[in-house]
Amino acid sequence: MSVFDFASYAKFRWSDMVLIFRAAGLTLQITLISLAFGTLIGLLLGIVRCSKNQVLNKLPLLIMEPLRNSPLIVQLFLVYYGLPSLGIRMPAMTAALLTLSLNTSAFFAVLVHSSIIAVPRGQWESGYAIGFNKLQVYVYVIARQAIRLLIPQAITLYISQLQTSSLVSFVSLQDLTKAGQIVAQKTLLPFLIYAIVAAVYFALTYPLARVARYLEKRMGFTI
Amino acid sequence: MAMIEVKNVTKSFQIQSFDESTKKYIKTKLTVLQDFSVDFDQQGVTVLIGPSGTGKSTLLRCINGLETIDEGDILVDGMSVRDKHKLKNIRLTCGMVFQQTVLFPHLNVMQNLTLGPRKLLGMSMAQATDKAKHLLNKVGLISKEKARHFELSGGEQQRIAIARALMMDPKALLLDEITSALDPEMTSEVLHILEDLAADGVCMIAVTHEMVFARHVARRIIFMDKGAVAVDADKDEFFTVHRKENERVASFLKFIGE
Repeated sequence: MSVFDFASYAKFRWSDMVLIFRAAGLTLQITLISLAFGTLIGLLLGIVRCSKNQVLNKLPLLIMEPLRNSPLIVQLFLVYYGLPSLGIRMPAMTAALLTLSLNTSAFFAVLVHSSIIAVPRGQWESGYAIGFNKLQVYVYVIARQAIRLLIPQAITLYISQLQTSSLVSFVSLQDLTKAGQIVAQKTLLPFLIYAIVAAVYFALTYPLARVARYLEKRMGFTI
Repeated sequence: MAMIEVKNVTKSFQIQSFDESTKKYIKTKLTVLQDFSVDFDQQGVTVLIGPSGTGKSTLLRCINGLETIDEGDILVDGMSVRDKHKLKNIRLTCGMVFQQTVLFPHLNVMQNLTLGPRKLLGMSMAQATDKAKHLLNKVGLISKEKARHFELSGGEQQRIAIARALMMDPKALLLDEITSALDPEMTSEVLHILEDLAADGVCMIAVTHEMVFARHVARRIIFMDKGAVAVDADKDEFFTVHRKENERVASFLKFIGE
């Protein structure tokens, strides 16, 4: 069957499109929730990483390194299929949100840490010299500059995590990718369906990419 | 009582060095200030000179609490730098300007000047702006109040940094080689500002290699060598008596082309 065999497209019904859009909603929901939690946890881990206490600043690595150095899908299987053998059962949605949130937080923490230490030491000292205490230097001087470095990188991470969320289709969640599979199998129109699915992913992430480029231009000055 | 009393201060740094015999990196202790004592009163300009590595900058940084001291004590207006709760007041008493200009890059000139007074002295935006305008006039940069740091030359940035330190009404200004990174033209524009401030009676403690500045503005000159005070004298005395009699001073001055 050729892509140009338009008669076969009749098998593709409006209800299939609705299925895809609903699934896009689920993808967006999973992504937004896990990014929100991932950002909060990552911020915390990243700030603790910057501590001067040599023991304290290593603690976040205990969480971050395993999460950064193993495939997300394995983490997902571990939580969804592995934890029940320890008596911890959770719905697929909870497992997906938990795994994606923690995974995002590990990568986000690295961005936070690197953005904060990228602010030159002289900025700390001139903050102290004015009379600010550590917290005030953080808030008025360091954080403002670190955020400028952080935002474009964070958006890149968000884009990548939105696409990575397609892995939740492996734990029986009907997200955009899974819906694509179902419709493609039903209609036997894989090229058309996956093109549509790709286009929907594109529509979700491209605005983010544009925002990142805009922010990079606006904030891209040398420190 | 002197405004700043440095009493028997010892300060050392841990440095890594390569040991040729064992072919290993070892940690060694570099003592910069050894049982160091000096007093500064709130009068005129004191210039600290001496060869590199004698602890001039370290002394200023210890006074401002940016470095912790190993032994001894430093009292600023009676407040010890060892008391963490007093650090804020010590830093408000002694404003500091650094060699590398460190304006806050996320703020424009006016915001750089008003941030400290608003957050620490409880000034309103209007009060702080008024004061900032007055000081910008003084350093000749009133036209740059909206500028960002990258629109300013090194000399201009340094003048802004001086104005920012003055915003907090310090009793003394600690100046750490503030002209070392500038070309001669910018250096002279910064030195002019400092001369004006000295004429206004602002107390300054300056580490510098600018002998012109020392000659014109200083009241007292402290020559430091190997972490200790080698000569502590009035300017005129320093450039006449000590220059003739002290071999170390003579060779240093000759070396820097004075």
